[in-house]
Amino acid sequence: MLKIEGLRKSYDGNEILKGISVDVSKGDVISIIGPSGSGKTTLLRNMTTLEQADGGHIQFADVDKDFQKLSSKDIQTIRRNVGFVFQNYNLFNNKTALQNITEGLIVARKVNKSEAKKIALEALERVGLSDRQNHYPSQLSGGQQQRVGIARAVALNPKVIFFDEPTSALDPELVGEVLKVMRDLAESGTTMVVVTHQMNFARNVSNKVIFMADGHIVEQGSPESIFEHPSEKRTQEFLTDILANV
Amino acid sequence: MSLNTDFMVKVAHTAIQGVPVTLQIVLVALLISLPVGCLFALIRIYRIKGLEQIVKLYVSFVRGTPIIAQILIVYSAFPSLLNMIIGKAAFSINPIYYAYIVFTLNSIATLTEVFRSALQTVDKGQLEAGLMVGMRPRQIFWRIILPQALISALPNITNATLYLMKNSSLAFIMSVKDITAIAKTEAAFNYNFLEAYLVVWVYYLIICYSAEVIFYLLERYFSKYRRSTKKTTYFNWQPFSIKQPNVSAEAELTESGRGDHAQNRRIKKKL
Ligand SMILES: Nc1ncnc2c1ncn2[C@@H]1O[C@H](COP(=O)(O)OP(=O)(O)OP(=O)(O)O)[C@@H](O)[C@H]1O
Ligand SMILES: [Mg+2]
Repeated sequence: MLKIEGLRKSYDGNEILKGISVDVSKGDVISIIGPSGSGKTTLLRNMTTLEQADGGHIQFADVDKDFQKLSSKDIQTIRRNVGFVFQNYNLFNNKTALQNITEGLIVARKVNKSEAKKIALEALERVGLSDRQNHYPSQLSGGQQQRVGIARAVALNPKVIFFDEPTSALDPELVGEVLKVMRDLAESGTTMVVVTHQMNFARNVSNKVIFMADGHIVEQGSPESIFEHPSEKRTQEFLTDILANV
Repeated sequence: MSLNTDFMVKVAHTAIQGVPVTLQIVLVALLISLPVGCLFALIRIYRIKGLEQIVKLYVSFVRGTPIIAQILIVYSAFPSLLNMIIGKAAFSINPIYYAYIVFTLNSIATLTEVFRSALQTVDKGQLEAGLMVGMRPRQIFWRIILPQALISALPNITNATLYLMKNSSLAFIMSVKDITAIAKTEAAFNYNFLEAYLVVWVYYLIICYSAEVIFYLLERYFSKYRRSTKKTTYFNWQPFSIKQPNVSAEAELTESGRGDHAQNRRIKKKL
Protein backbone atom coordinates (compact mmCIF):
# COMPACT_ATOMS: atom_id res chain seq x y z
CA MET A 1 0.00 0.00 0.00
CA LEU A 2 2.86 2.37 0.85
CA LYS A 3 6.23 1.56 -0.54
CA ILE A 4 9.40 3.59 -0.08
CA GLU A 5 12.63 2.67 -1.80
CA GLY A 6 16.15 4.00 -1.39
CA LEU A 7 15.16 7.12 0.57
CA ARG A 8 18.15 9.42 1.08
CA LYS A 9 18.46 12.64 3.00
CA SER A 10 21.42 14.83 3.93
CA TYR A 11 21.73 17.93 6.03
CA ASP A 12 24.68 20.17 5.30
CA GLY A 13 26.54 17.33 3.60
CA ASN A 14 25.90 14.81 6.38
CA GLU A 15 23.97 11.89 5.06
CA ILE A 16 21.34 11.10 7.71
CA LEU A 17 19.28 8.59 5.74
CA LYS A 18 21.40 6.33 3.61
CA GLY A 19 18.89 4.59 1.41
CA ILE A 20 15.92 3.38 3.39
CA SER A 21 13.25 1.07 2.03
CA VAL A 22 10.00 0.49 3.85
CA ASP A 23 6.98 -1.48 2.79
CA VAL A 24 3.72 -0.88 4.62
CA SER A 25 0.72 -3.10 3.97
CA LYS A 26 -2.85 -2.39 4.96
CA GLY A 27 -3.44 -3.13 8.63
CA ASP A 28 0.26 -3.15 9.48
CA VAL A 29 1.42 -1.76 12.77
CA ILE A 30 5.10 -1.11 12.28
CA SER A 31 7.35 0.00 15.12
CA ILE A 32 10.57 1.77 14.28
CA ILE A 33 13.15 1.58 17.03
CA GLY A 34 16.74 2.67 17.25
CA PRO A 35 19.20 4.85 19.11
CA SER A 36 18.82 8.60 19.34
CA GLY A 37 20.08 10.36 16.25
CA SER A 38 19.70 7.32 14.02
CA GLY A 39 17.33 9.21 11.74
CA LYS A 40 13.90 7.94 12.78
CA THR A 41 12.24 11.34 12.92
CA THR A 42 13.93 12.34 9.69
CA LEU A 43 12.61 9.20 8.03
CA LEU A 44 9.02 9.95 9.06
CA ARG A 45 9.27 13.57 8.00
CA ASN A 46 10.63 12.63 4.60
CA MET A 47 8.17 9.81 4.00
CA THR A 48 5.30 12.22 4.65
CA THR A 49 6.81 15.04 2.53
CA LEU A 50 7.19 17.37 5.50
CA GLU A 51 10.73 17.60 4.21
CA GLN A 52 11.98 17.00 0.73
CA ALA A 53 14.09 13.88 0.35
CA ASP A 54 17.27 13.98 -1.74
CA GLY A 55 16.60 10.67 -3.40
CA GLY A 56 14.35 7.64 -3.41
CA HIS A 57 11.03 6.50 -4.72
CA ILE A 58 7.54 6.52 -3.25
CA GLN A 59 4.57 4.45 -4.27
CA PHE A 60 1.45 5.47 -2.39
CA ALA A 61 -2.14 6.44 -3.12
CA ASP A 62 -2.07 7.51 -6.77
CA VAL A 63 1.56 8.52 -6.64
CA ASP A 64 4.38 6.42 -8.06
CA LYS A 65 7.40 8.69 -8.42
CA ASP A 66 10.84 9.68 -7.30
CA PHE A 67 10.72 11.98 -4.29
CA GLN A 68 12.51 14.71 -6.17
CA LYS A 69 9.96 14.68 -8.95
CA LEU A 70 6.88 15.08 -6.78
CA SER A 71 4.63 17.87 -8.00
CA SER A 72 2.75 19.97 -5.49
CA LYS A 73 -0.35 18.01 -6.46
CA ASP A 74 1.42 14.75 -5.62
CA ILE A 75 2.50 16.19 -2.30
CA GLN A 76 -1.07 17.19 -1.59
CA THR A 77 -2.25 13.67 -2.47
CA ILE A 78 0.30 12.09 -0.16
CA ARG A 79 -0.53 14.44 2.70
CA ARG A 80 -4.23 13.82 2.26
CA ASN A 81 -3.70 10.14 2.80
CA VAL A 82 -1.45 10.22 5.82
CA GLY A 83 -2.00 11.29 9.39
CA PHE A 84 0.81 12.52 11.60
CA VAL A 85 0.99 12.48 15.38
CA PHE A 86 3.80 14.65 16.69
CA GLN A 87 6.07 14.16 19.65
CA ASN A 88 5.01 17.47 21.16
CA TYR A 89 1.38 17.27 19.97
CA ASN A 90 1.45 20.46 17.89
CA LEU A 91 -2.19 21.19 18.56
CA PHE A 92 -3.56 24.49 17.27
CA ASN A 93 -3.39 26.52 20.47
CA ASN A 94 -6.09 28.97 19.51
CA LYS A 95 -8.61 26.23 18.82
CA THR A 96 -10.58 24.01 21.18
CA ALA A 97 -10.15 20.25 21.16
CA LEU A 98 -13.16 19.95 18.88
CA GLN A 99 -12.00 22.74 16.54
CA ASN A 100 -8.56 21.17 16.32
CA ILE A 101 -10.24 18.21 14.67
CA THR A 102 -12.84 20.03 12.57
CA GLU A 103 -10.28 22.53 11.22
CA GLY A 104 -8.75 20.12 8.70
CA LEU A 105 -12.12 18.63 7.81
CA ILE A 106 -13.72 21.99 7.11
CA VAL A 107 -10.84 23.96 5.66
CA ALA A 108 -8.96 21.29 3.74
CA ARG A 109 -11.57 18.64 3.03
CA LYS A 110 -14.50 21.01 2.58
CA VAL A 111 -16.74 18.88 4.77
CA ASN A 112 -19.73 20.92 5.92
CA LYS A 113 -19.74 22.17 9.49
CA SER A 114 -22.32 19.91 11.05
CA GLU A 115 -20.90 16.83 9.39
CA ALA A 116 -17.39 17.84 10.49
CA LYS A 117 -18.59 18.28 14.05
CA LYS A 118 -20.18 14.85 14.00
CA ILE A 119 -16.97 13.23 12.75
CA ALA A 120 -14.91 15.15 15.30
CA LEU A 121 -17.14 14.12 18.18
CA GLU A 122 -16.84 10.50 17.14
CA ALA A 123 -13.07 10.84 17.02
CA LEU A 124 -13.01 12.45 20.46
CA GLU A 125 -15.14 9.66 21.77
CA ARG A 126 -12.69 7.10 20.44
CA VAL A 127 -9.89 8.68 22.44
CA GLY A 128 -12.13 9.10 25.49
CA LEU A 129 -12.30 12.88 25.51
CA SER A 130 -15.93 13.65 24.69
CA ASP A 131 -16.18 15.72 27.86
CA ARG A 132 -13.22 17.89 26.88
CA GLN A 133 -14.42 19.05 23.48
CA ASN A 134 -14.53 22.73 24.43
CA HIS A 135 -11.21 22.84 26.23
CA TYR A 136 -8.27 24.64 24.74
CA PRO A 137 -4.93 22.79 24.57
CA SER A 138 -3.62 24.90 27.46
CA GLN A 139 -6.41 23.48 29.59
CA LEU A 140 -5.53 19.86 28.84
CA SER A 141 -2.88 17.58 30.29
CA GLY A 142 -0.12 16.35 28.00
CA GLY A 143 -1.78 12.97 27.70
CA GLN A 144 -5.09 14.55 26.79
CA GLN A 145 -3.43 16.82 24.26
CA GLN A 146 -1.76 13.87 22.61
CA ARG A 147 -5.07 12.04 22.48
CA VAL A 148 -6.60 15.05 20.73
CA GLY A 149 -3.62 14.92 18.38
CA ILE A 150 -4.44 11.30 17.63
CA ALA A 151 -8.14 12.09 17.19
CA ARG A 152 -7.22 14.87 14.76
CA ALA A 153 -5.29 12.39 12.63
CA VAL A 154 -7.93 9.65 12.89
CA ALA A 155 -10.82 11.93 11.94
CA LEU A 156 -9.41 12.47 8.47
CA ASN A 157 -9.51 8.73 7.92
CA PRO A 158 -6.02 8.48 6.39
CA LYS A 159 -4.59 5.32 4.89
CA VAL A 160 -1.63 5.38 7.28
CA ILE A 161 -1.02 7.22 10.55
CA PHE A 162 2.57 8.07 11.46
CA PHE A 163 3.50 8.55 15.11
CA ASP A 164 6.79 10.18 16.08
CA GLU A 165 7.52 9.16 19.65
CA PRO A 166 4.00 10.03 20.75
CA THR A 167 4.69 9.42 24.43
CA SER A 168 8.22 10.78 24.80
CA ALA A 169 7.19 14.24 25.95
CA LEU A 170 4.76 12.89 28.53
CA ASP A 171 5.09 12.44 32.23
CA PRO A 172 5.36 8.71 32.96
CA GLU A 173 1.92 8.50 34.55
CA LEU A 174 0.31 9.84 31.37
CA VAL A 175 1.99 7.43 28.96
CA GLY A 176 -0.48 4.64 29.62
CA GLU A 177 -3.60 6.47 28.47
CA VAL A 178 -2.00 7.35 25.13
CA LEU A 179 -0.66 3.85 24.56
CA LYS A 180 -4.09 2.45 25.29
CA VAL A 181 -5.65 4.63 22.60
CA MET A 182 -2.96 3.51 20.16
CA ARG A 183 -3.52 -0.09 21.05
CA ASP A 184 -7.26 0.32 20.43
CA LEU A 185 -6.54 1.85 17.06
CA ALA A 186 -4.21 -0.99 16.15
CA GLU A 187 -6.83 -3.53 17.14
CA SER A 188 -9.46 -1.84 15.02
CA GLY A 189 -7.25 -2.32 11.97
CA THR A 190 -5.69 1.14 11.58
CA THR A 191 -2.45 1.07 9.61
CA MET A 192 0.23 2.65 11.77
CA VAL A 193 3.93 3.45 11.59
CA VAL A 194 5.21 4.25 15.06
CA VAL A 195 8.61 5.53 16.10
CA THR A 196 8.84 4.56 19.73
CA HIS A 197 11.04 3.86 22.69
CA GLN A 198 8.19 1.90 24.31
CA MET A 199 9.51 -1.60 23.87
CA ASN A 200 6.31 -3.10 25.25
CA PHE A 201 4.33 -1.47 22.51
CA ALA A 202 6.81 -2.55 19.83
CA ARG A 203 6.77 -6.05 21.08
CA ASN A 204 3.14 -6.63 21.93
CA VAL A 205 1.16 -4.41 19.62
CA SER A 206 3.06 -4.18 16.37
CA ASN A 207 3.29 -6.92 13.78
CA LYS A 208 6.60 -5.71 12.40
CA VAL A 209 9.62 -4.05 13.98
CA ILE A 210 12.28 -2.06 12.16
CA PHE A 211 15.57 -1.42 13.90
CA MET A 212 17.44 1.60 12.59
CA ALA A 213 20.95 2.83 13.29
CA ASP A 214 23.12 5.44 11.58
CA GLY A 215 20.69 6.06 8.78
CA HIS A 216 20.36 2.40 7.83
CA ILE A 217 17.77 -0.21 8.54
CA VAL A 218 19.89 -2.74 10.37
CA GLU A 219 17.25 -5.37 10.78
CA GLN A 220 13.53 -5.84 10.45
CA GLY A 221 11.04 -8.58 11.11
CA SER A 222 8.37 -9.83 13.43
CA PRO A 223 8.56 -8.66 17.05
CA GLU A 224 9.51 -12.17 18.11
CA SER A 225 12.39 -12.39 15.71
CA ILE A 226 13.75 -8.96 16.65
CA PHE A 227 13.31 -9.25 20.39
CA GLU A 228 14.01 -12.98 20.86
CA HIS A 229 16.63 -13.73 18.23
CA PRO A 230 18.10 -10.54 16.82
CA SER A 231 20.58 -11.58 14.19
CA GLU A 232 22.66 -8.40 14.16
CA LYS A 233 25.09 -7.42 16.88
CA ARG A 234 23.90 -3.77 16.78
CA THR A 235 20.36 -4.88 17.50
CA GLN A 236 21.42 -7.05 20.39
CA GLU A 237 23.45 -4.24 21.94
CA PHE A 238 20.66 -1.74 21.54
CA LEU A 239 18.09 -4.05 23.10
CA THR A 240 20.33 -4.97 25.99
CA ASP A 241 20.96 -1.29 26.65
CA ILE A 242 17.40 -0.16 26.43
CA LEU A 243 15.92 -3.05 28.37
CA ALA A 244 18.46 -2.54 31.13
CA ASN A 245 17.30 1.05 31.43
CA VAL A 246 13.59 0.36 31.82
CA MET B 1 3.53 79.96 45.08
CA SER B 2 -0.12 79.24 44.51
CA LEU B 3 -1.79 77.77 41.47
CA ASN B 4 -4.22 79.85 39.52
CA THR B 5 -7.07 77.34 39.50
CA ASP B 6 -9.47 79.50 37.52
CA PHE B 7 -6.91 79.61 34.77
CA MET B 8 -6.46 75.86 34.95
CA VAL B 9 -10.18 75.32 34.44
CA LYS B 10 -10.05 77.67 31.47
CA VAL B 11 -7.09 75.84 29.91
CA ALA B 12 -8.81 72.54 30.53
CA HIS B 13 -11.77 73.83 28.55
CA THR B 14 -9.79 75.03 25.56
CA ALA B 15 -7.27 72.22 25.52
CA ILE B 16 -10.02 69.64 25.33
CA GLN B 17 -10.42 70.66 21.71
CA GLY B 18 -6.98 69.20 21.19
CA VAL B 19 -7.99 65.78 22.46
CA PRO B 20 -9.63 64.68 19.18
CA VAL B 21 -6.57 65.89 17.29
CA THR B 22 -4.26 63.82 19.46
CA LEU B 23 -6.54 60.80 19.15
CA GLN B 24 -6.76 61.25 15.38
CA ILE B 25 -3.01 61.22 15.00
CA VAL B 26 -2.77 58.09 17.11
CA LEU B 27 -5.60 56.32 15.32
CA VAL B 28 -4.42 57.12 11.81
CA ALA B 29 -0.89 56.07 12.66
CA LEU B 30 -2.08 52.84 14.25
CA LEU B 31 -4.54 51.89 11.52
CA ILE B 32 -1.88 52.22 8.85
CA SER B 33 1.09 50.90 10.76
CA LEU B 34 -0.58 47.75 12.11
CA PRO B 35 -1.09 46.05 8.73
CA VAL B 36 2.06 47.54 7.21
CA GLY B 37 4.14 46.57 10.23
CA CYS B 38 2.76 43.04 9.96
CA LEU B 39 3.64 42.91 6.28
CA PHE B 40 7.15 44.19 6.94
CA ALA B 41 7.58 41.61 9.67
CA LEU B 42 6.63 38.89 7.20
CA ILE B 43 9.09 40.27 4.69
CA ARG B 44 11.79 39.95 7.28
CA ILE B 45 10.77 36.53 8.53
CA TYR B 46 10.46 35.02 5.07
CA ARG B 47 13.57 36.87 3.95
CA ILE B 48 12.05 38.20 0.78
CA LYS B 49 14.98 39.11 -1.39
CA GLY B 50 15.65 42.81 -1.88
CA LEU B 51 12.73 43.93 0.25
CA GLU B 52 14.21 42.42 3.37
CA GLN B 53 17.25 44.71 3.20
CA ILE B 54 15.09 47.76 2.64
CA VAL B 55 12.87 46.98 5.62
CA LYS B 56 15.90 46.33 7.77
CA LEU B 57 17.46 49.64 6.78
CA TYR B 58 14.22 51.50 7.30
CA VAL B 59 13.70 50.06 10.76
CA SER B 60 17.22 50.85 11.86
CA PHE B 61 16.99 54.40 10.54
CA VAL B 62 13.81 55.06 12.45
CA ARG B 63 14.90 53.30 15.59
CA GLY B 64 18.33 54.84 15.54
CA THR B 65 17.22 58.47 15.37
CA PRO B 66 15.29 60.61 17.85
CA ILE B 67 11.70 61.24 16.87
CA ILE B 68 12.29 64.96 17.11
CA ALA B 69 14.80 64.71 14.29
CA GLN B 70 12.31 62.74 12.22
CA ILE B 71 9.68 65.38 12.82
CA LEU B 72 11.99 68.19 11.81
CA ILE B 73 13.11 66.38 8.68
CA VAL B 74 9.60 65.50 7.52
CA TYR B 75 8.32 68.95 8.38
CA SER B 76 11.03 70.71 6.43
CA ALA B 77 11.35 68.25 3.56
CA PHE B 78 7.77 67.44 2.66
CA PRO B 79 6.35 70.93 2.11
CA SER B 80 9.12 71.89 -0.28
CA LEU B 81 8.92 68.51 -2.00
CA LEU B 82 5.20 68.95 -2.45
CA ASN B 83 5.79 72.51 -3.57
CA MET B 84 7.68 71.16 -6.56
CA ILE B 85 4.74 68.94 -7.47
CA ILE B 86 1.60 70.89 -6.62
CA GLY B 87 2.97 74.40 -6.27
CA LYS B 88 2.13 76.94 -3.61
CA ALA B 89 -0.85 74.96 -2.36
CA ALA B 90 1.66 72.77 -0.55
CA PHE B 91 2.11 75.40 2.14
CA SER B 92 -1.56 75.61 3.00
CA ILE B 93 -1.92 71.90 3.74
CA ASN B 94 -3.20 71.22 7.23
CA PRO B 95 -0.05 70.31 9.17
CA ILE B 96 -1.85 67.40 10.78
CA TYR B 97 -1.05 65.45 7.59
CA TYR B 98 2.61 65.83 8.31
CA ALA B 99 1.95 64.54 11.78
CA TYR B 100 0.18 61.53 10.28
CA ILE B 101 3.21 60.87 8.10
CA VAL B 102 5.82 61.14 10.83
CA PHE B 103 3.98 59.13 13.43
CA THR B 104 2.90 56.48 10.95
CA LEU B 105 6.43 56.04 9.63
CA ASN B 106 7.66 55.89 13.18
CA SER B 107 5.23 53.32 14.46
CA ILE B 108 5.58 51.13 11.37
CA ALA B 109 9.17 50.59 12.44
CA THR B 110 8.23 49.79 16.03
CA LEU B 111 5.41 47.47 15.03
CA THR B 112 7.54 45.65 12.47
CA GLU B 113 9.77 44.56 15.30
CA VAL B 114 6.78 43.80 17.54
CA PHE B 115 5.19 41.56 14.92
CA ARG B 116 8.45 39.94 14.01
CA SER B 117 8.99 38.66 17.50
CA ALA B 118 5.31 37.82 17.95
CA LEU B 119 5.12 35.76 14.77
CA GLN B 120 8.20 33.90 15.83
CA THR B 121 6.76 32.97 19.20
CA VAL B 122 4.11 30.86 17.48
CA ASP B 123 5.54 27.37 17.49
CA LYS B 124 6.28 26.24 13.96
CA GLY B 125 5.02 22.77 14.78
CA GLN B 126 1.51 24.08 14.31
CA LEU B 127 2.34 24.93 10.72
CA GLU B 128 3.48 21.37 10.15
CA ALA B 129 0.40 20.01 11.86
CA GLY B 130 -1.72 22.17 9.57
CA LEU B 131 0.09 20.86 6.51
CA MET B 132 -0.47 17.31 7.65
CA VAL B 133 -4.22 17.82 7.90
CA GLY B 134 -4.13 19.11 4.34
CA MET B 135 -4.36 22.86 4.94
CA ARG B 136 -2.54 25.26 2.63
CA PRO B 137 0.21 27.41 4.11
CA ARG B 138 -1.92 30.51 3.48
CA GLN B 139 -4.89 29.04 5.33
CA ILE B 140 -2.67 28.04 8.23
CA PHE B 141 -1.21 31.53 8.39
CA TRP B 142 -4.58 33.30 8.55
CA ARG B 143 -6.41 30.83 10.76
CA ILE B 144 -3.74 29.56 13.14
CA ILE B 145 -0.52 31.57 13.13
CA LEU B 146 -1.69 35.16 12.75
CA PRO B 147 -4.44 35.08 15.43
CA GLN B 148 -1.95 33.75 17.95
CA ALA B 149 0.74 36.20 16.92
CA LEU B 150 -1.65 39.14 17.25
CA ILE B 151 -2.59 38.15 20.75
CA SER B 152 0.96 37.61 21.87
CA ALA B 153 1.79 40.98 20.31
CA LEU B 154 -0.94 42.81 22.22
CA PRO B 155 1.14 43.82 25.25
CA ASN B 156 3.80 45.27 22.98
CA ILE B 157 1.20 46.90 20.77
CA THR B 158 -0.17 48.50 23.93
CA ASN B 159 3.24 49.87 24.76
CA ALA B 160 3.78 51.10 21.24
CA THR B 161 0.42 52.86 21.37
CA LEU B 162 1.22 54.54 24.67
CA TYR B 163 4.53 55.76 23.29
CA LEU B 164 2.77 56.98 20.20
CA MET B 165 0.27 58.93 22.32
CA LYS B 166 2.97 60.55 24.35
CA ASN B 167 5.18 61.26 21.34
CA SER B 168 2.26 62.80 19.52
CA SER B 169 2.61 65.70 21.95
CA LEU B 170 5.59 66.72 19.83
CA ALA B 171 3.24 67.49 16.98
CA PHE B 172 3.10 71.09 18.20
CA ILE B 173 6.49 71.53 16.56
CA MET B 174 4.70 71.16 13.24
CA SER B 175 2.10 73.68 14.45
CA VAL B 176 -0.55 70.99 14.81
CA LYS B 177 -3.16 72.19 17.31
CA ASP B 178 -3.17 69.23 19.64
CA ILE B 179 -3.55 69.28 23.44
CA THR B 180 0.01 70.38 24.03
CA ALA B 181 -0.05 73.13 21.42
CA ILE B 182 -3.26 74.66 22.72
CA ALA B 183 -2.09 74.63 26.32
CA LYS B 184 1.21 76.13 25.32
CA THR B 185 -0.49 78.99 23.52
CA GLU B 186 -2.75 79.67 26.47
CA ALA B 187 0.19 79.60 28.82
CA ALA B 188 2.20 82.01 26.72
CA PHE B 189 -0.61 84.55 26.81
CA ASN B 190 -0.87 84.55 30.55
CA TYR B 191 2.55 83.43 31.70
CA ASN B 192 0.92 80.65 33.73
CA PHE B 193 3.07 77.90 32.36
CA LEU B 194 2.96 75.48 35.25
CA GLU B 195 -0.82 75.51 35.40
CA ALA B 196 -1.16 74.91 31.70
CA TYR B 197 1.35 72.08 31.73
CA LEU B 198 -0.30 70.42 34.68
CA VAL B 199 -3.51 70.31 32.68
CA VAL B 200 -1.66 68.75 29.76
CA TRP B 201 -0.13 66.27 32.10
CA VAL B 202 -3.51 65.20 33.45
CA TYR B 203 -5.00 64.88 29.98
CA TYR B 204 -2.25 62.57 28.76
CA LEU B 205 -2.51 60.58 31.93
CA ILE B 206 -6.22 60.04 31.40
CA ILE B 207 -5.83 59.17 27.72
CA CYS B 208 -2.99 56.74 28.25
CA TYR B 209 -4.67 55.14 31.18
CA SER B 210 -7.87 54.62 29.19
CA ALA B 211 -5.91 53.11 26.34
CA GLU B 212 -4.23 50.77 28.73
CA VAL B 213 -7.55 49.60 30.12
CA ILE B 214 -8.98 49.08 26.64
CA PHE B 215 -6.00 47.03 25.56
CA TYR B 216 -6.11 45.03 28.74
CA LEU B 217 -9.76 44.15 28.10
CA LEU B 218 -8.96 43.21 24.51
CA GLU B 219 -6.15 41.02 25.63
CA ARG B 220 -8.24 39.31 28.25
CA TYR B 221 -11.04 38.72 25.82
CA PHE B 222 -8.92 37.31 23.03
CA SER B 223 -6.48 35.27 25.03
CA LYS B 224 -9.10 33.06 26.59
CA TYR B 225 -7.42 30.11 24.93
CA ARG B 226 -4.20 30.81 26.76
CA ARG B 227 -5.68 30.76 30.22
CA SER B 228 -5.42 27.40 31.79
CA THR B 229 -8.27 26.90 34.23
CA LYS B 230 -6.59 28.24 37.31
CA LYS B 231 -4.31 31.02 36.22
CA THR B 232 -5.86 34.41 35.45
CA THR B 233 -4.04 37.66 35.16
CA TYR B 234 -5.66 40.76 36.55
CA PHE B 235 -5.29 44.27 35.39
CA ASN B 236 -2.95 46.37 37.42
CA TRP B 237 -5.22 49.28 38.19
CA GLN B 238 -2.40 51.55 39.29
CA PRO B 239 -1.83 54.04 36.51
CA PHE B 240 1.94 53.85 36.69
CA SER B 241 2.32 50.31 35.50
CA ILE B 242 3.36 51.41 32.04
CA LYS B 243 6.10 49.10 30.98
CA GLN B 244 9.01 49.74 28.67
CA PRO B 245 8.56 48.14 25.28
CA ASN B 246 9.97 44.71 25.22
CA VAL B 247 10.33 44.47 21.52
CA SER B 248 13.30 42.37 20.60
CA ALA B 249 13.24 39.97 23.51
CA GLU B 250 12.28 36.89 21.55
CA ALA B 251 13.35 38.04 18.15
CA GLU B 252 15.94 35.44 17.32
CA LEU B 253 13.97 32.40 18.40
CA THR B 254 13.48 30.63 15.13
CA GLU B 255 15.34 32.53 12.49
CA SER B 256 15.33 29.58 10.14
CA GLY B 257 12.86 26.78 9.97
CA ARG B 258 15.44 24.47 11.28
CA GLY B 259 15.32 25.49 14.90
CA ASP B 260 12.11 23.71 15.39
CA HIS B 261 13.18 20.29 14.37
CA ALA B 262 16.22 20.76 16.53
CA GLN B 263 13.92 21.71 19.36
CA ASN B 264 11.93 18.52 18.87
CA ARG B 265 15.04 16.59 19.42
CA ARG B 266 15.92 18.46 22.55
CA ILE B 267 12.76 17.41 24.32
CA LYS B 268 13.87 15.15 27.08
CA LYS B 269 13.45 11.55 26.27
CA LYS B 270 11.59 9.37 28.70
CA LEU B 271 11.91 5.68 28.07
N1 LIG C 1 16.98 20.00 10.20
C1 LIG C 1 18.16 19.41 10.47
N2 LIG C 1 19.32 20.04 10.21
C2 LIG C 1 20.50 19.44 10.47
N3 LIG C 1 20.63 18.23 11.01
C3 LIG C 1 19.51 17.57 11.31
C4 LIG C 1 18.22 18.10 11.06
N4 LIG C 1 17.30 17.21 11.45
C5 LIG C 1 17.97 16.17 11.91
N5 LIG C 1 19.29 16.36 11.84
C6 LIG C 1 20.33 15.39 12.22
O1 LIG C 1 19.94 14.15 11.75
C7 LIG C 1 20.25 13.11 12.66
C8 LIG C 1 19.03 12.27 12.90
O2 LIG C 1 18.05 13.02 13.55
P1 LIG C 1 16.63 12.44 13.90
O3 LIG C 1 15.91 13.50 14.63
O4 LIG C 1 16.02 11.91 12.68
O5 LIG C 1 16.99 11.25 14.86
P2 LIG C 1 16.02 10.33 15.69
O6 LIG C 1 16.38 8.93 15.34
O7 LIG C 1 14.63 10.76 15.52
O8 LIG C 1 16.50 10.59 17.16
P3 LIG C 1 15.68 10.70 18.49
O9 LIG C 1 15.46 9.30 18.97
O10 LIG C 1 16.59 11.46 19.39
O11 LIG C 1 14.42 11.44 18.18
C9 LIG C 1 20.78 13.80 13.90
O12 LIG C 1 22.16 13.64 13.91
C10 LIG C 1 20.41 15.23 13.72
O13 LIG C 1 21.40 16.05 14.26
MG1 LIG D 1 13.15 11.63 16.80
